[in-house]
Amino acid sequence: MSAKTLRHLIVVGLLVLWELLPRAGLIPELFLPSLSSTLLAGWNEAAEYGHALAVTLYEVAVSMAFACGGGILLGAIVGSLPRPRLLIMPMVSSLYAVPLVILYPVFTVWLGIGSESKIAFASIYGFLPTMLATAAGIQTIDPQLLLAARSMGATLSQRLVRVIIPAAIPTVLSGLRIGGALVIVGVVVSEMLISSAGIGYLISRYRTILDSPHVFAGVLLVLFMAIAFNTAIRWVERKAAIWQTGTRAGQGAADEVGSGTMQPAT
Amino acid sequence: MQPLANVTPLKPPPRAGAIEVRNVGQVFRTRSQDVVALEDVSLDIKPGRFVVLVGPSGCGKSTLLMMMAGLRAQTSGTITINGAPIAQPDPNRVGVVFQEASLFPWLTAEDNVEFPLALRGVAKAERRAKAQDALKLVGLEGFGKRHPHELSGGMKQRVSIARGLVQDPPVLLMDEPFAALDEQTRMTMGDELLRIWAATGKTVVFVTHSLTEAVYLADEVIVMSPRPGRIVDQLQVNLPRPRTYEMLSGDAFGALRDRIWRHIRKSA
Repeated sequence: MSAKTLRHLIVVGLLVLWELLPRAGLIPELFLPSLSSTLLAGWNEAAEYGHALAVTLYEVAVSMAFACGGGILLGAIVGSLPRPRLLIMPMVSSLYAVPLVILYPVFTVWLGIGSESKIAFASIYGFLPTMLATAAGIQTIDPQLLLAARSMGATLSQRLVRVIIPAAIPTVLSGLRIGGALVIVGVVVSEMLISSAGIGYLISRYRTILDSPHVFAGVLLVLFMAIAFNTAIRWVERKAAIWQTGTRAGQGAADEVGSGTMQPAT
Repeated sequence: MQPLANVTPLKPPPRAGAIEVRNVGQVFRTRSQDVVALEDVSLDIKPGRFVVLVGPSGCGKSTLLMMMAGLRAQTSGTITINGAPIAQPDPNRVGVVFQEASLFPWLTAEDNVEFPLALRGVAKAERRAKAQDALKLVGLEGFGKRHPHELSGGMKQRVSIARGLVQDPPVLLMDEPFAALDEQTRMTMGDELLRIWAATGKTVVFVTHSLTEAVYLADEVIVMSPRPGRIVDQLQVNLPRPRTYEMLSGDAFGALRDRIWRHIRKSA
């Protein structure tokens, strides 16, 4: 049996357990409502959840644009220029260790409890890893490639567009993966804390009235959102990383050529 | 020496590919002291010659090559190619091949070869045609659609040579291009390079650590000494062409290699 089928079986098994254990009374419905009652709760309040999802998705999208756009831009500057790097990097690195959620109440004071405060918080939350990864990606570009481009007469802007950016894409994408995931976390958490709309708000509100099926319906939605984001990033990564050296496919082809099955042999 | 009749302005002048190095010096300033990497180096390379620079590590042979490529400014002296000074990279006059193939891993072989043309905005069809010609010249016809990671080390260097030649510059500078290859591949690539050189008539300046490779390839071997880098000897290699594997064990070959080795042992 392939690893993939096995993985799918495990997921199906968990879903079946989710349905059976509460039904059999092994787990109280308050702790874990059965899958069917969760789905039913979500279905019955579809309009409410739909509206909440729209709010959350909007906040995620805007924050993602700020976090990723700003992170890549500043990361590129910091990664390519030594002076800003010396100034900013130590600060950013230590900031990375601070639980930024402590700033959220301040943001609600400044920006109110609507979407703005969530967007501000999630943007900063996702910005840091994106920026750090981009800076690292640009710093680790093979200087030989830049020298070669220069020998062919590439101007500074041509080197940026044709060498630095494509060479940095894999590292930037891995930063986006972490940054994007943190944006989702940031939005949902801030909605749960102080808010008036969104999935996080729904989860938090239903929890206070001990309505477990509705809480779990919200949890499921967040789960789907995270999975969808991950799938999308993976797809982009696959598209962009075809060329990456050291892939098994590439190695195989090189061996094939090296062993003389193809001409010329050198 | 311009012929009086039949001058077609599109053809390069007959002396294209001449390199003149006049009293060139290079000083690296570090925090504690100034290091003299090259001192008063003068060199005349005639068009179409195959010249090899050898010398122990730190003799500045790669530095000299980078200056000829316009990738590094000399502290003193002048370098001219085709009679005009070279202050910055000029792909129309000079093609460069590096030790690592330094191909862009996200581009296919033909896109890599087209890269210098794309920088200058040459139309797609013309680019493709020139790249095909260059790949054919280096024996890689039909491999254009592959990415560098799908090519062997020798093939990557072939692509790299094709990229250096695609703009048809009169001068090809090569910085230890075969150093990372295994012995057999290295021998084959040497023969291939000589074939390409004979077919194109380029001036080639080739840096290497291998004395055998130097004598095998060169019309002329320039031996350099380290700290400060200076030219200590210039040898004419008058072995007949095409060079063959059998020459490696001949007396003439051995004598030339010994003479270079004595210089290097003295300074290393």
